[in-house]
Amino acid sequence: MGEPVVEQEDVLADVSDDVLVQRAVDGDTDAFAGLIGRHGPQLRALMTRLTGSQAEGDQLAQETFYQAWRELPQLEEGAALRGWLLRSGTRLALTHLRSTRPSDDGRPAAAASGDLAEADVPDGRRARLAALSRVLGALPENDRHCWLLREMGGLDYDEIADQLQLPVTDVRGCLARARASIYTRMEEWR
Amino acid sequence: MTASDPRTLTCGKTIDELSDYLARDRRPPDPSIETCPECLNALSGLEDLSAWSRELIEDDGRQLGAPSAEWLRGILDSIALEVRSGRDLPVRHPDPRVTIAITEGAVRSLIRSVGGTVPGVVIAGCRIEGDAETPGAPVRVAVTVSLDWRMSAAPAIAGLRDALGAALAEHTELEIVDIGVTVVDVHGSAPEEEQS
Repeated sequence: MGEPVVEQEDVLADVSDDVLVQRAVDGDTDAFAGLIGRHGPQLRALMTRLTGSQAEGDQLAQETFYQAWRELPQLEEGAALRGWLLRSGTRLALTHLRSTRPSDDGRPAAAASGDLAEADVPDGRRARLAALSRVLGALPENDRHCWLLREMGGLDYDEIADQLQLPVTDVRGCLARARASIYTRMEEWR
Repeated sequence: MTASDPRTLTCGKTIDELSDYLARDRRPPDPSIETCPECLNALSGLEDLSAWSRELIEDDGRQLGAPSAEWLRGILDSIALEVRSGRDLPVRHPDPRVTIAITEGAVRSLIRSVGGTVPGVVIAGCRIEGDAETPGAPVRVAVTVSLDWRMSAAPAIAGLRDALGAALAEHTELEIVDIGVTVVDVHGSAPEEEQS
C-alpha cells in the first residue's frame, strides 16, 4: 500500500457532481475545489455578462461559491448543482447591480459584453458567437438581463420577475423584444 | 412599454407564441404548429438561438481562461473558516484530568482517506450513527460510495469494510457494531474524451 493517495486525486476528477457534493457536505475542501473547477468557468462567464465587468464577475462568482459551501447541506439530493450555482450567482449579481448602479435602467450596456467572444481566431462558429455577443451587448439592459437569465441561467418567467423585481408581464415584454431583436439580427447565421 | 412582439408569421402565429410553446416543451402538441412548415422553421430558429446562447456562455468560460490562483484561494480560505467539524468524539486518556476528543469531521476525513486506498472506490458521504459522544456506546458507520464500473462490487466493498474497520479501530475508540456500504454511483473514464 505505497502510493494510492496520488491516485485518489485523479479519481476525484472522474466521479459525478453528486459524489463531490456529498464529500463537500462532509467537509472535503478538495472535492469542493473540484466542483469549482468544473463549474467556475460558466459561472464566471455569466456573472461577467450580467455585470459587464470581469473583475466584478469574478468577485460575484467567488461569493456564489462561498455561499454554495454554506448551503450545500441543504441542497436537495440529485438537484443539479450547475443550475443552482447559476441561479444563486444571478441573485447575487442582480442585488449587486441594484446597489451599485440603481438608475441606468434601459441603457444599452456599452462595454458590457462584446469583447469576450471576439478575441480569437475567426472561424464560422466563432464569428457566429461574436455576432450573438454583439447583439446581446446592444440590447437594453433589462431585455439583456431577461435573456441571460432565461437562456443562460435557466430561470422561468416568475423567477426572472422575482429577481429583477419586475411584473411578469414586463418580463414577457422584455423577453419578446430581446427574442425578436436577436432572432432578426441572427437570421443570416441560420 | 408594450409587451407584444410585432413579428408575426404569414401563417398568423407569432414568434412569441412559438417561444411559449417551446418553453412548454411543445406540450401538449399543437397540430396547427407541428404541421405548419413556417412554424417548424421558426421553432428550429428559436431552438438555435437558445443553443447558441448556451454555447456563448460556455465559450466565454473558455475565453476567460483559468482563474487566478488568488481567486481560487480566496474561496478556499473563506470556506476553511467554516469547517464542518461535527460532534466531538471522546478518546480515553489514563489521566482523568485530561480530555481528548477527535472531531466527527476528522473521522469522516479518515474514512475518505481510507476509501482512497481501496482500488476502484471513492467515498461519497459518510455518517456516524449512534451516541458516539458516549464512550463505549454502539456506533454504526454508514458510507455511500462511487464504484469504478470496471471493478466487481463485492470484493471492492469487502475490501473497503475491512480497511475501514481496521483504521477506525486503530485511530478512534468508537465501538463500531456495523459498517454499512451503499454503492450510489459509478465512475471511470471513458476511453476517449468527447471533442468540442
